[in-house]
Amino acid sequence: MAGAGGGGCPAGGNDFQWCFSQVKGAIDEDVAEADIISTVEFNCSGDLLATGDKGGRVVIFQREQENKSRPHSRGEYNVYSTFQSHEPEFDYLKSLEIEEKINKIRWLPQQNAAHFLLSTNDKTIKLWKISERDKRAEGYNLKDEDGRLRDPFRITALRVPILKPMDLMVEASPRRIFANAHTYHINSISVNSDHETYLSADDLRINLWHLEITDRSFNIVDIKPANMEELTEVITAAEFHPHQCNVFVYSSSKGTIRLCDMRSSALCDRHSKFFEEPEDPSSRSFFSEIISSISDVKFSHSGRYMMSRDYLSVKVWDLNMESRPLETHQVHEYLRSKLCSLYENDCIFDKFECCWNGSDSAIMTGSYNNFFRMFDRDTRRDVTLEASRESSKPRASLKPRKVCTGGKRKKDEISVDSLDFNKKILHTAWHPADSVIAVAATNNLYIFQDKIN
Amino acid sequence: MEFKLEAHRIVSISLGKIYNSRVQRGGIKLHKNLLVSLVLRSARQVYLSDPCPGLYLAGPAGTPAPPPQQPGEPAAGPPAGWGEPPPPAARASWPETEPQPERSAVSEAPRVGDAVPAATVTGVGDVPQGGEADAAEAAWNRVDGPRQAAAGEAEDPAGGWGVFPLGSRAARRPCGCPLGGQDPPGTPAATPRAACCCAPRPAEDEPPAPPAVCPRKRGAAGVGGGPASCPAPGSTPLKKPRRNLEQPASGGEDDDAEEMETGNVANLISIFGSSFSGLLRKSPGGGREEEEGEESGPEAAEPGQICCDKPVLRDMNPWSTAIVAF
Repeated sequence: MAGAGGGGCPAGGNDFQWCFSQVKGAIDEDVAEADIISTVEFNCSGDLLATGDKGGRVVIFQREQENKSRPHSRGEYNVYSTFQSHEPEFDYLKSLEIEEKINKIRWLPQQNAAHFLLSTNDKTIKLWKISERDKRAEGYNLKDEDGRLRDPFRITALRVPILKPMDLMVEASPRRIFANAHTYHINSISVNSDHETYLSADDLRINLWHLEITDRSFNIVDIKPANMEELTEVITAAEFHPHQCNVFVYSSSKGTIRLCDMRSSALCDRHSKFFEEPEDPSSRSFFSEIISSISDVKFSHSGRYMMSRDYLSVKVWDLNMESRPLETHQVHEYLRSKLCSLYENDCIFDKFECCWNGSDSAIMTGSYNNFFRMFDRDTRRDVTLEASRESSKPRASLKPRKVCTGGKRKKDEISVDSLDFNKKILHTAWHPADSVIAVAATNNLYIFQDKIN
Repeated sequence: MEFKLEAHRIVSISLGKIYNSRVQRGGIKLHKNLLVSLVLRSARQVYLSDPCPGLYLAGPAGTPAPPPQQPGEPAAGPPAGWGEPPPPAARASWPETEPQPERSAVSEAPRVGDAVPAATVTGVGDVPQGGEADAAEAAWNRVDGPRQAAAGEAEDPAGGWGVFPLGSRAARRPCGCPLGGQDPPGTPAATPRAACCCAPRPAEDEPPAPPAVCPRKRGAAGVGGGPASCPAPGSTPLKKPRRNLEQPASGGEDDDAEEMETGNVANLISIFGSSFSGLLRKSPGGGREEEEGEESGPEAAEPGQICCDKPVLRDMNPWSTAIVAF
């Protein structure tokens, strides 16, 4: 695979030219709510790309092997498997409908020919096994080719079934269902580096599971106050450290991140490290608390840094420095003066995710108007790109976009008031090794590659 | 004045969101409702502390608190950080950052928040009519009582709010005009409801008084919510609310908001009133439903920061209870 052989992954910012590769999903203007993509995740090798949508479905794309006869299909992603992961449910006790929307998908490291992933909605986590079947057994004794059972008394001779090749079939089967452990809405799941356990976090609690055990989970964080009237913050995201299986972080709606060590106590209510940037009092507004709420937290691949996303910015933290972030990147500062309107139309509650590239030299996050932003940490440059059908010609380079914040609008710039706030990019994913990115724009999944790749 | 309008608008929008969250698929989202309640608290604070005599026209109590408070207060330097327990002097420093003093009018806001969740608990179907509406409206009168009392005290609600006006002013002016150029239709009528939400609790304690406050209610309420998303001049806003109430709602909000906005204000008051009465009888921590997915009232969450007098404290508790129940 071109580019995969390179040692360090190329930076994603401005050093490379991002080109359109593919777009998945319907083109209709009328988007069914169930088709809205709600999570995107590459697997550990990057060969598989999973998406979950609001309708509870999971679609997995597989990267095609490079083919000499089709040199232009440089590692295209094609549908590998589609299955219904979660169905809408009803909690009769509380008279609440449980949405089937897939909140998160996390792949397990591959240990055999099959692939495993965890998918979760608000209440239930499921472990899915995706396996290929390319052989079929024929010549059963007790049933004929149609599957109908034979009468045992009619069998006069026995034969050994033989395996015959068949068209490749990809099956997804639920192997574990982890249910009834969360009172509030699950916002995160994270597989541990020990490959045996994983955590699931809801608004007030984090539970630790063993992948083999579904009827028990350990509660490791509980921030529910004795009196709910005293509630001031909720958990918004949680993740295990990529290498240290005893360490995890969780972020809060107050803009704080807590790092916990499971060795210190069974219940990790007391953090080992506390990351918070003091607030700038001069930028106070009605909505300061909302925009400081962290919507996503991600460790770097190295495990030395982590990144947090709040409404207007992305911050990179050094795990060894709790007092302030290492870097702060403004995603769409021009929205600061529009917070009231964004509050009215609920956009201020949008939860943007963020991701690292394979070498941790660049980070990416989404914005509105189908824009997404990349920040190159080495060169300190950033770029705004757009995922749109207009710039969807094969291998067409993406042109950097610019939002005009005031004064005279230059050509090709777009003014803040013209931004389409219904076109939001909340979910993005970066290939773990190559310069390939997947960007979810409502119901469409865009895949971009860099030219060199 | 403009801050008050903006704050009022935000209060009504926030209440609308809390109200709508009842019917959203997937159940009540704790995180979002928590954030909305924080905004509600901020807006309520600003709204009640912004002294605009013009807004409380023809009110029995007149202005909630005498503006002269501010000049007499000694400057105490920058207020404590947002959310930190404020030293008593911190409040005095507010005048430095904001011409108008921050009056710790916690009395009104709690009821505002209370009413909405309370309504949701009992269900919109329980729309008591007639007499209760009178009681609720009458109770609205009494809002001024505790508010005045509270205003006179050296209150310091949820400290650090002192910094708030400056920042909010900066934030509010530009964002006074919504992106779409249009106010959400829920605003005009929502504000009367917001204002009237204060009614229910006092109604519990006192016999009904003549419902003469209606015009004032609408006047005060509508000011904040009218199309004057940018600050409106002093006298004209009085006329606007009535016009807004009569006009059909312009697009934008969903059906739920539309329903709320055009609903009978008195009905809304009575809804909240009746719901509220049930909650008041229960223990403060209980609430109507001890569901796990409940919202909570952060207002009561910072005990160290609220130096309120008794009536205000009494107001706070039921509101939080209502939100919990909600």
